[in-house]
Amino acid sequence: MSLHAIQTEIMAMEKKRRLYSMAGIVLVAAVLISGYGMANDLNSGGFLTGMKQFFDYPAEIVKEAWATGFSFFPLMGRFVPALVETLNIAGAASIVGGALAVVLAFLGSANLGVKPPVVVTIVRRIMDIMRAFPELIIALFLIFILGSSPVPAMIAVAIHTAGALGKLFSEVNENADADPVEGLASCGATWLQRMRYGVLPQVLPNYLSYFMLRFEINVRASAILGFVGAGGIGMELRRTIGWGKGAGDETAALFVLLILSIFVIDQLSSFIRRRLVTGRDSE
Amino acid sequence: MKITDLTKTFGKITAVDAVSFSIDQPQMIGVIGPSGAGKSTLLRMINRLTDATRGSIRINDRDILQLSGREKRRWQRDCAMIFQQFNLVPRLNVVTNVLMGRLNGHSTLKSLFCIFGRHLVDEALAALDRLGIADQALQRAETLSGGQQQRVAIARALMQQPKMVLADEPIASLDPLSAEKVMTALREIRDRDNLTVLCNLHTLDTARTYCDRVIGMLQGCIVFDDVPSKLTPSVVRDIYGAEQELNESMTSTSISGPVFTPEPLRIRKAALA
Amino acid sequence: MTSSTLAIQPPEPITGSTAVFFRVRRESLMIMAGTGLTVLYLLYTFISFDLWHLISRSQPQRAVMLATDAVAHKVHVTKNIRGAGGLSIAVEGERTATYETPPGWVTVSDDMSRVDLGRGYQVDIYDTHVVFQIPDIGPVHVRITDAGIETTLPRGVDPPDWLRATPAKFDARPTIGRRVQVSKARIEVHRYFMGWENFFFPFRSELAGYSPGQLFSLAFSDHRLDPDMANWRLMATTFWNNPGWQHKQVFVALLETFLMAVLGTITAALVGLPLAVLAAANFTPAQALRFAVRRLFDFLRGIDMLIWSLIFIRAFGLGPLTGALAIAFTDTGSLGKLFSEALEGVNRKQMEGVHATGANRLQFYRFGVIPQIIPVFVSQTLYYLEANVRSATIIGALGAGGIGLMLVEAMNTQRHWENVFYLILLTISLVMVMDTVSGKLRSRLIHGRSGT
Ligand SMILES: Nc1ncnc2c1ncn2[C@@H]1O[C@H](COP(=O)(O)OP(=O)(O)OP(=O)(O)O)[C@@H](O)[C@H]1O
Ligand SMILES: [Mg+2]
Repeated sequence: MSLHAIQTEIMAMEKKRRLYSMAGIVLVAAVLISGYGMANDLNSGGFLTGMKQFFDYPAEIVKEAWATGFSFFPLMGRFVPALVETLNIAGAASIVGGALAVVLAFLGSANLGVKPPVVVTIVRRIMDIMRAFPELIIALFLIFILGSSPVPAMIAVAIHTAGALGKLFSEVNENADADPVEGLASCGATWLQRMRYGVLPQVLPNYLSYFMLRFEINVRASAILGFVGAGGIGMELRRTIGWGKGAGDETAALFVLLILSIFVIDQLSSFIRRRLVTGRDSE
Repeated sequence: MKITDLTKTFGKITAVDAVSFSIDQPQMIGVIGPSGAGKSTLLRMINRLTDATRGSIRINDRDILQLSGREKRRWQRDCAMIFQQFNLVPRLNVVTNVLMGRLNGHSTLKSLFCIFGRHLVDEALAALDRLGIADQALQRAETLSGGQQQRVAIARALMQQPKMVLADEPIASLDPLSAEKVMTALREIRDRDNLTVLCNLHTLDTARTYCDRVIGMLQGCIVFDDVPSKLTPSVVRDIYGAEQELNESMTSTSISGPVFTPEPLRIRKAALA
Repeated sequence: MTSSTLAIQPPEPITGSTAVFFRVRRESLMIMAGTGLTVLYLLYTFISFDLWHLISRSQPQRAVMLATDAVAHKVHVTKNIRGAGGLSIAVEGERTATYETPPGWVTVSDDMSRVDLGRGYQVDIYDTHVVFQIPDIGPVHVRITDAGIETTLPRGVDPPDWLRATPAKFDARPTIGRRVQVSKARIEVHRYFMGWENFFFPFRSELAGYSPGQLFSLAFSDHRLDPDMANWRLMATTFWNNPGWQHKQVFVALLETFLMAVLGTITAALVGLPLAVLAAANFTPAQALRFAVRRLFDFLRGIDMLIWSLIFIRAFGLGPLTGALAIAFTDTGSLGKLFSEALEGVNRKQMEGVHATGANRLQFYRFGVIPQIIPVFVSQTLYYLEANVRSATIIGALGAGGIGLMLVEAMNTQRHWENVFYLILLTISLVMVMDTVSGKLRSRLIHGRSGT
């Protein structure tokens, strides 16, 4: 092929690529414009009226909270048990889901010598399904059978966690070094022992890092599921908001509690993750 | 131990081709041969890391290749293996790595929680002491030098209380000084513990210095099996091809010889690959 | 071992085998302590969640109910004792779905009606007397007297556990699909049929009762059922406006949820990217600006989608715009943070190379920066899109509308479980389709571009 031909080909490719990018941008713009138009039509309150009253509600809450003065803090204290319940939902769901994820991840990794190799495919499909199931549906279904309680939310979040973490964990597993595992196999170690000593020490820091990230996501999910009847801070919020005017101080207290705890967990989790990552790099 | 007709094929490639030999008394055997000759595959089949396609390995009328499950793992413990890349667990400390040699027979629950009794720890320390690295017992394995890591691997092998030891190019990635320490340690297993040591090597003078018997392999077949003194230049040429005309001492591991340079070795390997 | 993954301990001189043993023992003790604490914590949460009480209070029959109703429907044959004594036959007991002429399995005569439940099960309804014919057992007589309900089993038959007979009520359900209930007020027989009733056309529609083959030929026939429109259009409108299944409303709800997720995510990505440039240390030298933008990201993320949703629902009411804005606000923070981290990680050499060619500022971004961050941008945006389809169902349930709200409402009415099941199926399909499409797009865009 002559130099000229190569040049034309590159030009043509570049042109095509640019065309694709342009088409993509036009498509996104069209989706945005028509989508917002459609959304505005479907919405019960329009955008412009909404913008005008956007600050009304926060202002109302803040005003009511301000009026309570110093007794706002005891008010916040009153909701701490609800916050603890939400954190417990997230904590238990993360632990149960995370433990399940570890099992699924080991069975769903192609490089660990899981005995009939079909198991790997099946387990991967199971994880996909667990990940895809919306938490809301599982929670509502279980609330319907078990009644209003934190347990449905816990189970719903745990199922999603098992699927999501399982996939990430198995990706970590598949990048693990096989040499230590082979070394243990040559000593006559069982499969479980090989996983425990050959794989787990390698992957544990990554697991913990993903786990912390997931815990943070789960706190948010547990709070929001509370609103549909799963207890905790979300349930309290539904109660105070349902009362309409007058409970603004309580709503404000709940908002502040939730924001504070999410902030603390966010900072804590990124601190731990940074330490895990740098701990690995410095070796 | 009697190996008969041992064969391994990977698709169209026959890595080990109807190999037969026997080991009647404890001895140190060096297996030599060009890259791709099937040395590693042979050792891995004996340790049952790789399943053989055909053949048998008999010890006291028991065919090792027919073992499975618990018995197979028990055999793997009896025939310890040492690897070129050490295959330690880098994140665990040295004692724990040595303790891994006793995972076989350790209960699942105890293994999960990393519980090892006093006598096991003492035994592991003794093994490390014998190899001169007891001081590093609490260091993480990955922080050790290559030579030290290989000695940890040998300590782990000793911990297995093996009936024989296999070593797959144990000194290929070590400097001459470490290599000598490792070879001496292996030789000592032969002399002191009176065990058979089957060791893949690619430096002839190492084989000559340390081994009682040398097996030469070429394209999966055994082409030489005798005492090292019978390893004449013409035999060597048969095994390695003409490239061995390169000064043999250049691939030497002995410190007294010319300065060790790994380059010629790599060229040879590459040329044959 | 858990402890040693956090930091590397410096090599310590050992004083003897005892010291080594204690170190080994300490690690195993720490692992056991960690496991033990975790188990204890789980125990504590389960106790605080009142798990045992919950299990005893649970209503597993509701799951069975949902499961049967999800795949089957029942026809009620009802006779009121007081008032007009006529027999009414209706799908799910709905007045709007009452048969005018009894179906083949019910025969009505002057003094008695016979309901054939199939496979030998049969119910004869007299004025105040019911005879339930059950295979292997024989006829069970139920009489409504002033004293109450009198049940007579055939001689020598013990009452089976699926039959409850008290003076107040007789209730027998020998199989899942057959049930007879008698109280002083009425006699009710249920017969279940597989499938969803009237899924395509409402019971009263002239299209109900045709077989698929008949419908197909009808669609293209010139003989119009409705003189105003062609048959296929009649079918489409009848289907679309089916009051029981509400296909139109369900479609709109799905569209709303979809819109919330797509609009919210795209908006967040497009707003987040320029802000991310302002938050990245290697692009924005002004530290104060960087700090401000980063705190803005923290603020948006920290408020959390729950609170944003509640605020937006108040201001904008029910609808997809509300959900989209709630998602956009939260994820501008999350995506902005991710993008700024990606920007800080871009390869300096490539940027400098473009700089060296004398490119202007726009070209510098176009060729030096964008090719490097496009993969992160696209893949993270698509990941968030997937997650946001799930989030949009939840925001909907909080009151923003869409399929989430519809589902909550359908569950709260505690009827029409087939509708609930249908909505669940649709929601899961929406999520899975979005997951698949986004996964395909992700690998396409990223691998397709990796060469450039
Ligand atoms: N897992 C495998 N799959 C396919 N082919 C393999 C596998 N393992 C080894 N082989 C092939 O078998 C042949 C023998 O390999 P082997 O590793 O035993 O050689 P070797 O003598 O140990 O060489 P070297 O000195 O390079 O280690 C080679 O041709 C190799 O490509
Ligand atoms: Mg080899």
